[in-house]
Amino acid sequence: MTDAGEPVESDGAVNGLTREELLRGAAVGGVLIATGGLSELADAAVAKPKRGGTFRLGITGGGAKDFIDGQHIVAKTDIARLVTAFEGLSYFNEKYKPVNSLAEELKAEKANQWLIRLRPGIEFHNGKTVTADDVIYSIRRTLDPKLGLFGRGSFGAVDPNRMKKLDKRTVRLFLTRADVTLIDAFSQYFQGIVPVGYCPDGLGSRTQNKLRYIGTGPYKVQSFVPGRQSVHVRNANYWRSGQPYFDKVIIIDFPDDTARINALLGGQVDAITDVPYAQLPLIRRRSNLKVYEAPTGAWNPISMRLDVPPFNDLRVRQAMRLLINRKQVVQEALAGHGRVANDIYSPFDLCYAGDEFPQHAYDPDKARSLLKAAAREGLTVDLQTSAADTGMVEEALILAQNARAAGVTINVKNLDGGTFYGDQYLKWPFATDYWGTRNYLQQVGVGSLKESPFNESHWDASPNYDRFVSLYRQALATVNGKKRCAIVKQMQRLEYDTGGHIIPYFKNLTDAYSKKVGGFKIDRGTLNLNKYGNGFRTIYFVQ
Amino acid sequence: MPGLLAEGPAPLLPDPTRPRRARFLRGIGGFIVRRLLLGLLTLFVASLLIFTATQALPGDAARSILGRTATPASLAALREQLGLKKPVVEQYTDWIGGVFRGDLGTSLAAGLPVTSLIGERIKYSGFLMLVAAIISVPLAVLIGAVSARRRDGPFDHVMSTITLALAALPEFVVAIALGVIFSTTVFHFLPSVGLYEPGVAPWRYPRELVLPTLTLIIAVTPYIARIMRASMVEILESDYVEMARLKGLSERLVLWRHAVPNGIAPTFQVIAINLAYLAGGIVVVESVFKYPGIGAGFVDAVSSRDMPVVQAYALLIAGLYVVLNLLADVATILVSPRLRTSLK
Repeated sequence: MTDAGEPVESDGAVNGLTREELLRGAAVGGVLIATGGLSELADAAVAKPKRGGTFRLGITGGGAKDFIDGQHIVAKTDIARLVTAFEGLSYFNEKYKPVNSLAEELKAEKANQWLIRLRPGIEFHNGKTVTADDVIYSIRRTLDPKLGLFGRGSFGAVDPNRMKKLDKRTVRLFLTRADVTLIDAFSQYFQGIVPVGYCPDGLGSRTQNKLRYIGTGPYKVQSFVPGRQSVHVRNANYWRSGQPYFDKVIIIDFPDDTARINALLGGQVDAITDVPYAQLPLIRRRSNLKVYEAPTGAWNPISMRLDVPPFNDLRVRQAMRLLINRKQVVQEALAGHGRVANDIYSPFDLCYAGDEFPQHAYDPDKARSLLKAAAREGLTVDLQTSAADTGMVEEALILAQNARAAGVTINVKNLDGGTFYGDQYLKWPFATDYWGTRNYLQQVGVGSLKESPFNESHWDASPNYDRFVSLYRQALATVNGKKRCAIVKQMQRLEYDTGGHIIPYFKNLTDAYSKKVGGFKIDRGTLNLNKYGNGFRTIYFVQ
Repeated sequence: MPGLLAEGPAPLLPDPTRPRRARFLRGIGGFIVRRLLLGLLTLFVASLLIFTATQALPGDAARSILGRTATPASLAALREQLGLKKPVVEQYTDWIGGVFRGDLGTSLAAGLPVTSLIGERIKYSGFLMLVAAIISVPLAVLIGAVSARRRDGPFDHVMSTITLALAALPEFVVAIALGVIFSTTVFHFLPSVGLYEPGVAPWRYPRELVLPTLTLIIAVTPYIARIMRASMVEILESDYVEMARLKGLSERLVLWRHAVPNGIAPTFQVIAINLAYLAGGIVVVESVFKYPGIGAGFVDAVSSRDMPVVQAYALLIAGLYVVLNLLADVATILVSPRLRTSLK
């Protein structure tokens, strides 16, 4: 399980299969796929890396409310900045497999007991060595309800009061319930390890805390002006030898698509995120530029609330799933940059069964008869959406258009982000949303349980919910991967037959960069540009 | 919207039935003092209106800052911290009290003093507005006057077509087209966006400023030129111009000495409105060129429900309208002998 393709990976710990890694491989999905040598390179020719230089990234979005915090993000700008300065115990590689980062060892000793051992001698930006105390502090901070950090939901099983420091770099976690997927939670990019005392009362850069920029990442924050830009300088003391390559990284906010693309065309930045699909040919025509296109597990559900009419009737939900022409959505909403999905999320989970079930297809006649049976003929509903993410408005409009064939009227309400994500968010009976790549059980934890922070479809109102939850608990306690997959498939079957999501597609990320830059690998994860060149440390200027 | 060709506030003509004012309120000085006092009242009303409107928007700053990941606990904590739990009236009085003490407050979104957040944007917008005005106003007056003088001649026809066409184009189309022509596709000699370093003055970026300035010149010149022409056409047909011509004055003298000063009066109002618009209304142009002006800052503040910053921008822009309208009125009075004498 070597992290092939990374030009320099000096530490020996990732070479060879250790018992822990076997167990972890099993924990992730039961099947272990060696990625060595199979990594697709985004660059056709592997050009020689050059040291130094200033890399400029044009990032989507930006505003006065941007911030830098090692454990939280709201917007894309926050993500790009987080990964320069902070790292977690592990991370997802480009195949979406967890690989150790700050951890030397990270394993489930039992389904409800985990062991964390840090690599020795890693230092924070202020020169302090990373110790078990920092790990415990970081996990506690994530769990602080007052801060409302992004990762809190995935650590629900961790008991904050029973973390035990075994020695200077080893911690044992006791869980309140079994959770063999905790490795996924630790591998989320926003699960940075921060030093003891790091911003206990608020989000990093919004506080005056002197540790607010202190992580272990490849770059140190030199300056940050919210809504404008940030400058990051090379961490000369970085623990992965030979990395990073750049002397300096500048992340510049570009709320406007045209300005961002023009900046790349004009050579004022070296890479940009999110090229609108319509603009891709423009980039492809330029001999000095390259399109980065990565098929990811990102999805835009159209969610129906199971606890309110008309969607409390299973037949109405089934009819709605038959009223969207998925191929048309991929062709028109995504301009072909995606693939048809089958109402099940997490396509890269090793237990994914969405392609084993019969494909839900456009069938207005069948939908009409289902609606007739439910006494909902000529149904009229409002569908709330927002342009928060590519495809959210388009898929809603196509569904509305397709649904007319069955006599269904869908009024699409395109709301501004503040309204859509305001007080009514997660309460709309019928609405779109966006999600990135996640494994199945993790996604269930954040979006499909009664206590999930994003309980969109209110699946807990389903008569099948109790069975679903007991399967979920069972899966989390099953260390054997094969057995767990069998359980996970039953869960997916329940959602496939009776769930509240319409998931028309998984879509591609489309970014672009200058050919002066090398090292990008096609990545299955949610983050743009190969997780921003893995925190700007695996990319470089070519010679 | 430079399309708004409505007249500005009519110059205040003294009412003969009105009791005589104290000495310092008389004459042009008095006029300015009175208008400034009225302006303050306008600002106050504007701030009340904006505050009410911000409150009516769905969501609040806490929700906008925490985004999609907000939890009830984190929302409550942040609302407490930002003072959003106080009664609405108290929030307003706190803010306005601060303004009277010269303190614009702290941005809810960024946690920084409002002045530090908007200071640089004011400088950038002000500079762009100034450069665009210095070029476009004389240019427009010249085009308008000459078109009127050579009415129905080739110059007039060509200018009429060009100004009409340009006036019909939205600024962002002009902005994108200029980018395509001068920096990304046809030629490559100007930067398409400005990567302005925070803390560096705008005049340090002459090359980056060319396209935004050009866009704004194209945006406002046609309106001013067309109003100037219309006004001049009327003046050139008036009796006193005829008289001047009959006296045997040269056509040049008639035009620039006698006609233009009167013809320019209605133009001042249009110039004032256009300049105020340049300061705050060119959001799209600012974002296409990534220009850090107050328009984009204002939009960002509204979308994050950042009340102190929204209020600061609103006051600034309202203040600018008041001052520019006042200047236009004063200028109108100074160039019109009739108004000048009636104020005495």
